[in-house]
Amino acid sequence: MSSRKFRQIVGLVLLASLAFSTYSCTVVSSNEEFFGTPTPPTRDIFRYVTGDEPASLDPAISNGQPEARIYMAMYEGLVEYNAKTLEPEPALAERWHINNDSSEFTFHLRTTGRWSNGDPIDANDFVYSFRRAVDKKTASQNAYLASYLKNAEAYNQQRVFVRDPKTGQFLIERDFQENPPPESIGNSPIDPAKSEYPADPKESTPDPDTAFHHQMHAPVRLTLPGSEKARTKQIEGDPKLKAAVAGKEFVPVKAEDLGVEAVDKYTVRVYLKQPGVFFLRLLAHQVFRLVPRKVVEQWGAQWTQPEHIVTCGPFKMKEWVPYDRLVLERDPMYWDAKTVKLDELHFYPIIDNATAMNLYKVGELDAVYNHAVPTPWLHIMKQKKDYMDQAEAANDYLIMNTTKPPLDNVKVRKAFNLSIDKEAYASWRKIVRPLTAFMPEGTFADYPRPQGAAFNPAEARRLLGEAGYPVEQNSDGTFSCPKFPVDQVEFIYNSQAANKSVTEWMQAQWKQNLGITVGLRNMEWKTFLDARSKLEYKGFARGAYGADYMDPFTFLSVFYTADESGTGWFDPKYVAMLDEANRTLDHKKRYELLAKAEAYMLDNQPIIPIDTPSVNWLKKPYVKGMYPNPASLFAWKYVYIERDRAKWDYGTPSLTAE
Amino acid sequence: MATEKKPEPDELIHIGPEMAVAEADLMPGEVGRFVQGTSLWRDAWRRLLKNKLAVFGLVVVVIVTISSIIGPTVIQRVFGFTPDYIPSNDPRLTQSFPPFTGPNGEFSWAHPMGTDNAGRDQFARVLQGGQISLFVGILATLVSLLIGVSYGAIAGYVGGRVDNVMMRIVDVLYSLPYVIVVIVLLSMFRSQTPRGQLILLFVAIGTVSWLTMARIVRGQVLSLKNQEFVLAARATGVSNTRIIFRHIVPNTLGPVIVYATLEIPQIMLTEAFLSFLGFGVQAPLASWGSLAADGIQNIAVFPWQLIFPGVTMALTLFSLNFLGDGLRDALDPQMRTV
Amino acid sequence: MFRFIVRRLLVTIPTILVVISITWVLIKLAPGNFYSGEKPLPPAIEKIIREKYGLDKPWYQQYGKTMWGIIRHLDFGTSLRYQGQSVNTIIKRSLPVSAAVGLLAYLLALIVGVTVGSIAALKQNSKWDYGSMALAMLGISVPNFVLGPILILVFSLGLYWLPPSRWGGFPSRNLVLPVLTLSALYMAYIARLTRAGMLEVLRSDYIRTARAKGLSERDVVIRHALRGGLMPVVSYTGPALAFLLTGTVVVERIFALPGLGNYFIQASLNRDEPLIIGIVAFIAITLLLMNLLVDIAYAYLDPRVRYQ
Repeated sequence: MSSRKFRQIVGLVLLASLAFSTYSCTVVSSNEEFFGTPTPPTRDIFRYVTGDEPASLDPAISNGQPEARIYMAMYEGLVEYNAKTLEPEPALAERWHINNDSSEFTFHLRTTGRWSNGDPIDANDFVYSFRRAVDKKTASQNAYLASYLKNAEAYNQQRVFVRDPKTGQFLIERDFQENPPPESIGNSPIDPAKSEYPADPKESTPDPDTAFHHQMHAPVRLTLPGSEKARTKQIEGDPKLKAAVAGKEFVPVKAEDLGVEAVDKYTVRVYLKQPGVFFLRLLAHQVFRLVPRKVVEQWGAQWTQPEHIVTCGPFKMKEWVPYDRLVLERDPMYWDAKTVKLDELHFYPIIDNATAMNLYKVGELDAVYNHAVPTPWLHIMKQKKDYMDQAEAANDYLIMNTTKPPLDNVKVRKAFNLSIDKEAYASWRKIVRPLTAFMPEGTFADYPRPQGAAFNPAEARRLLGEAGYPVEQNSDGTFSCPKFPVDQVEFIYNSQAANKSVTEWMQAQWKQNLGITVGLRNMEWKTFLDARSKLEYKGFARGAYGADYMDPFTFLSVFYTADESGTGWFDPKYVAMLDEANRTLDHKKRYELLAKAEAYMLDNQPIIPIDTPSVNWLKKPYVKGMYPNPASLFAWKYVYIERDRAKWDYGTPSLTAE
Repeated sequence: MATEKKPEPDELIHIGPEMAVAEADLMPGEVGRFVQGTSLWRDAWRRLLKNKLAVFGLVVVVIVTISSIIGPTVIQRVFGFTPDYIPSNDPRLTQSFPPFTGPNGEFSWAHPMGTDNAGRDQFARVLQGGQISLFVGILATLVSLLIGVSYGAIAGYVGGRVDNVMMRIVDVLYSLPYVIVVIVLLSMFRSQTPRGQLILLFVAIGTVSWLTMARIVRGQVLSLKNQEFVLAARATGVSNTRIIFRHIVPNTLGPVIVYATLEIPQIMLTEAFLSFLGFGVQAPLASWGSLAADGIQNIAVFPWQLIFPGVTMALTLFSLNFLGDGLRDALDPQMRTV
Repeated sequence: MFRFIVRRLLVTIPTILVVISITWVLIKLAPGNFYSGEKPLPPAIEKIIREKYGLDKPWYQQYGKTMWGIIRHLDFGTSLRYQGQSVNTIIKRSLPVSAAVGLLAYLLALIVGVTVGSIAALKQNSKWDYGSMALAMLGISVPNFVLGPILILVFSLGLYWLPPSRWGGFPSRNLVLPVLTLSALYMAYIARLTRAGMLEVLRSDYIRTARAKGLSERDVVIRHALRGGLMPVVSYTGPALAFLLTGTVVVERIFALPGLGNYFIQASLNRDEPLIIGIVAFIAITLLLMNLLVDIAYAYLDPRVRYQ
């Protein structure tokens, strides 16, 4: 045989064997119970991908979920999320009192709080941090969360009070409101006879009273725009206002007007502009976490650089290489350092899911973030014991423009809702759960979620007929609806890849069940957003919402104002129901009222609920203390590496609080 | 006085990262033979056939080419899948199956190379990828041939200052990171249609690959232009253009063919990696490079998505290389190559 | 020699400027811009951005400003996409990554390739020869974007021996697979080159003389044959580096390494003009300088080349 032929054969054999061994290698490994190797790291470190490179390490600024997880490691606030239930737990605040109508909160800080450089943490840190978060110059993306605080919005928008120079009295907001709600205790002058707070046996000494406290106990002041042009325009447009404003001076709202006070060294009092029964749930958000005053004032925008930064959370910065890794190490100064089990936390900014999954498989990562598992892999991943299967605190739905016919008729809207099979959709998409209400499934354990309407195409056709667009059945079993003004509706969507097939799926459902082919229109992102928010579309568009904080109101608030939902549906009755619920102190009763409001909204059908997404991530079985809660926010101090195989997590750990 | 810089006899001209030909062996030492007549080609053909390896390469290339061209149609007739057919009405089928496996894990002939994430048949896609890759490879080579031969012939024939300048330009362009410029070009001028992107692609590749061809042809022409048959043609009053293109160029065909066969795999590789990076072929068209790029995303769970396009491409390149070796040996057995 | 260097430099510098200008022109001609991302901006903000980055000035002013900045202090400006990071910082940060991978790959290719090729030449027509040349053929035919993932599949995802991607600093296990992937092609080619070169030399007269004189085989090979046989390899270094560059781009993509190649691709996709120009200029300068160095080395080693 010629030498070259020999070469050829050898080459081919090598090629074939390489391919084959590769293939058989992986076929074998696909039967493992975990995805990849479950060997724990030798040190007590946790390596994680949280998302893209963080926009900023300043907790007041960014509102992304990837950053939120980093902030939870580096900074702390008054309260912290419970690892399983996300309910607020004491953090830097040891205990607190809430007044009788939840319009005033007094927090007692623990005396052991320390910054990473050893400086003690006291109430003034909170006052500074809250003021800074609301300050317009900070340009926080989360300032709206603080809007419950008295004068927060006014300070953030740099508005002015209106004061009578002679008497020193300020104009009051409720005097200019149409139907002012009942005044809260926090806005009424202090009655020395009645105790503002419920009796508490643990409290022996009453909190010191302050002038600021009295000042806050006054009705909310009227504010006007800070810019003279806007202000004049508003005044000119309202004769009553114009009359009242005559002869008064305009006083800019200052940081000192914000409803937060350091009563004494370890007592913080927060004043709300109206009762906020769920306000505590807001407080765990990063915008309310502490920033070090001296460092921020000294270094400005550079304060988060590794050589300057000072933190107060369970971990402090060890190393930061932008676009490569952020390494945090445990902070011995942290007040609860003994609970912290991990030595180091590594955050790698990786956007490509496949890369993250590969690193996870090989054991270079100990967990990946939510939605990191690519959808095409799901039928394999779902069977692995390290797959986290849980509903997310978010929802997907279709919005409808209720201001234009034919969708201004609620029967028509209901018909379109009833003719989409949410169960079929969920099994087609694979990573979602069907949703017939508005509140996502499983997010608020004891919330009595309304059922919503189940899939019922016959009823849908009947309703459509009642609305004046009867549906006829053709000889081949399909439907048609000739009277329906199909040119007056369309389904707008944005050009991203997955959206097209989803939109087409919906279109197919309506065609199949109602005989109506709704036209699809592809739009550029910006045009799409604009059309949605300005109600410049006719028909349907996709919408989605994610929880800002862990209370059902965050979802229901979408319809609290007229212009947020993109549907044009606004009902003062709904708003009143929500307000009443938010004034209810009893937790169970409040939930019932909120559920009633949700049912009312669903009955009016401004949206078509579609699904609740799944959290869809993986964590190694040896990682304990990290629970797949709906918000994917983790209290890092409880996470640890378990080296005893018998104690590993097999499957999704339960979220029921012990 | 301008001197014409002849390439050094031993200097290797690097055509690609893995191929080189010695300049000396492309010089028409035996130009006479090429002029003598067509029996030379039959000689070459016979020599080629005796080389088992080259025959193997030829066979494989022919198989791959034919199956790429007719394969997708055949598959469509027999199984009903086109390269972009997505079985979207059946959710059980819109996922990635291993080779020869059906939806429930049973054996099935339907998908010998498995399916991709959307349920498209991989075999049809790999064949279509072959269509595109071969198409781009051959066309871009032709483009570079056209430009290179003309440029080199003119430079060599005219000589003097013009030749100097033209070759200087080639030298300068040669030392540039041309792939970088190609990438910038392709990323800036993305075509709207996949067809348009294809055309853009092989124009881009073709226009930067002509350099070596130009050098080779120029070297040939330099030697040829002082031969008697050229003097005779000039004496009888044939115009310069005719001399260049009707007399000289045909005699450079041997080395040009050799170079072209070396060029095709090189260009296919370039197209593949441009598509891999995302600058080449766009969806829904697939080339082996873009199939590999898609496949890499899923190697952790669906390795066949990468392995089949990759192995097919490697096999084709392998065969093209052997074929090229064989052609070189056949056309001039004394040619020294690496 | 000196005149040779000076002459080459005189050609190199305008070449680089031409390259930069061509790139600049291409970018300007292209439709779209760096800020038209997913959420296009309202016109007022777009105007502010254009002003901030000088995009509203006439083209000759922009060109002049760019070139002047480059010529005066090699300042390529600030990246449009990576907030606040100057192009020079990015290049400084990413260069060591690419350099480490590229140089290691070439070194490995040299060492293994020359060794294997020499042995194949010395033991011509033996199984060493066949085997190694078969492997070489494979190395040449399998594209690096196929080889890389297959290596990842086997050694990382399959056996869990090595990480599948990311940069782990220098030196680290993360370097193994990228370097192997990148060097495979050149290893194969250098082996073939060396073998051919050695075969040629071993047949020559002066080697026969050396052997006839009674020198040991080892001496013959190392002190005499190698020098001649390696000439093709040395002359290959210039083009090799150019090809290595394109290979690096693919390898950095596959292994998610924060090197020049990866940044270049990202910048092209993002239309990040200053970064593109900076990297292109840098690469052009490097390549041309390396070519110059190689030519000098070649001229030094082979007097025949030190021409007119």
